[in-house]
Amino acid sequence: MSSSVKSWLLLLPLLVFMILFVGQGMFRAFQESLDVGGSSGIFANYEALAADGTFHAALGVSVYVAFVSTMLSLLLGLLVTRTLTSWMKSDTWKLGAWFPMLIPHFVGAYLILLFFAPTGWFASAAASAGLGFPVMVQDTAYIGVILTYVWKEIPFVVLMLLPVYQEMDGRMQEVSRSLGAGRWTGFRFTEWPWVRPVLLETGLILFVFVIGAFEVPALLGVTYPSMVPVLAFDWFYQSGWSTRPLAQAMMVLLMLGSILLALLLLTTAYRWRERGRSHA
Amino acid sequence: MKRYVPLPLLLAAAACADGEGGAEDADTLSEAPWEEIEEAASGAEISMYMWGGDEGINAYMDEVVAPHLEEEYDITFSRQPMDAPEFLSRLMTEREADSMDGSGDILWINGENFRTAKENELLYGSFADMLPNMDYINEEAPYVENDMGTAVEGMQVPWGNVQYAFQFQGAEDPPETMEELLDWAEENPGSMTYPDVSNDTGNGFVRHILHHVAESPEDLAEYDEAWLEENGDDVWETLRELAPHLWREGETYPDSLSQQDQLFADGEVSMTLGFNEHRAESLIEQGTFPEDTETIGLTSGSISSVHYLSMPFNTTEPEAALVAINYMLSPEAQIAKLEPSRWGEGHILDLDAVSSGERDEIEAMVGEEVVPQEDALPELDARYVDWIQDNWEQEVVQQR
Repeated sequence: MSSSVKSWLLLLPLLVFMILFVGQGMFRAFQESLDVGGSSGIFANYEALAADGTFHAALGVSVYVAFVSTMLSLLLGLLVTRTLTSWMKSDTWKLGAWFPMLIPHFVGAYLILLFFAPTGWFASAAASAGLGFPVMVQDTAYIGVILTYVWKEIPFVVLMLLPVYQEMDGRMQEVSRSLGAGRWTGFRFTEWPWVRPVLLETGLILFVFVIGAFEVPALLGVTYPSMVPVLAFDWFYQSGWSTRPLAQAMMVLLMLGSILLALLLLTTAYRWRERGRSHA
Repeated sequence: MKRYVPLPLLLAAAACADGEGGAEDADTLSEAPWEEIEEAASGAEISMYMWGGDEGINAYMDEVVAPHLEEEYDITFSRQPMDAPEFLSRLMTEREADSMDGSGDILWINGENFRTAKENELLYGSFADMLPNMDYINEEAPYVENDMGTAVEGMQVPWGNVQYAFQFQGAEDPPETMEELLDWAEENPGSMTYPDVSNDTGNGFVRHILHHVAESPEDLAEYDEAWLEENGDDVWETLRELAPHLWREGETYPDSLSQQDQLFADGEVSMTLGFNEHRAESLIEQGTFPEDTETIGLTSGSISSVHYLSMPFNTTEPEAALVAINYMLSPEAQIAKLEPSRWGEGHILDLDAVSSGERDEIEAMVGEEVVPQEDALPELDARYVDWIQDNWEQEVVQQR
């Protein structure tokens, strides 16, 4: 049996599962988003969506939250990994760094509420010190949502980056230092080429996850503008189900956007790796 | 639509015997004497789809209803906490897939959710006439036949009756009319809010604003698009004027009643609201709400809302579901439901139909009315609920 046939066979259970559940769900969503037999064309719901200000606002705030959370998580995750690589050889440290990953997102969001709400711990502490405390949860800047995602996702970034750093050839850094490279130049030439594709892939996973997740913005977001999944939930259930096709159309667009982004970023990461290999 | 066993209608079904599935439907059961239904119910396991956000209500179901059904009828009862739109959505998927072995047997439902369920044929059928305990219910009451503009046709039976009321903490002179409430909000900036209108409590508050704008309840007795066109702007204008005085200056609203109750318990706002004028009592007892919480029913009018019990089209234990619903209508269960330390909500019994002992018990329990009968406002047509959901965010939240 050729190795490619074998790898497809090994993938088969997952593929069947994907087609049965995810595929079927996506197909249903697409089907319900079409306006079959209506007078205004089969894509009428998509046209309505394109003209809907509430949807534009939701999309805008979703991209903003997903982008900022992803960038901060990547940056801080990279810093943590670089600083801690030598300690991370011990399992205790690894477990410590990954522990927040075990906490579900909505629990994480509740913790943020507990600490950062106007009646929360930090506000009480600030008040007893005679200081004011800014509104950081259920705020239009989505600070609470971003905070939740950043502290939840940093361990994930560390998890993805750690193998890269642990396999990195330490002699490269020594060479660059002995040649007189500064810290930045050293990072630029001895670490970045290996870190870059992993960061891009991790960033993709985070961005797509954050833009499509419901529970954190439902708890810590605002009524308007709401993030796309929260708006989809509202449209899915309200007004005797009459806005349901719009919700489905919105989710189909979100899905297509995510797939396009994935294709773009994954081919870029692949190209970077190929280039890195030919240089080495 | 695919083929499915048509929902039995009382008259039509005799003519069209549908052999498919062979499940017992409302008609075959309606022929059976009640004793046979009780016998068939014995040993069954049933579950009820119901909103689970109130500890007092859950305690009533777990401590009163479930043990009684177990002891008296050998029925195992369990709750499945779920919001009505969610279980209806699930039933709709099962309907489309022709799935007749549903996991729920009883539904807690009313208003626009009942309308959605009825229109999409998600209900079992007309069963009200089969229940012996319907004798205790005042059949003259308008809500028996009509639920927020939708004809009931025996597909659900009334279970409880609640008034909309407001809770305040630390207010020296709490407002007693809508006018005073709006002024109070202005004098106490940041103290008031109401949940998002996709939530029934928040929607109910806006329905009170409709009543406030209307000259008399008769203007709103039936769904009237012309009235909305003429007066809709006044409704939104009232709410837009209120918004800057609200919690977070109306920048955002609590997502649910639980969230607002949490804000109230934390002292972040000093009022909360909701259907069931007695709902604060068990919360005070548990220590969730402060001792000085005061409940006010507006003398300018308070919406009185009835909620119902129904059965889904794909219950696998219709006999046990009927027996359980019948018990929940009994004077015994209705009186236990009045107990403020658990649920404490209004009954739907006809006081002329119950025994004099039971009548005394009810009168002792109900005590002083929070909302006198003459201040009760009728619930609005479910289409007003839709109108509020469709426009509120754009007209109020986005106009800041």
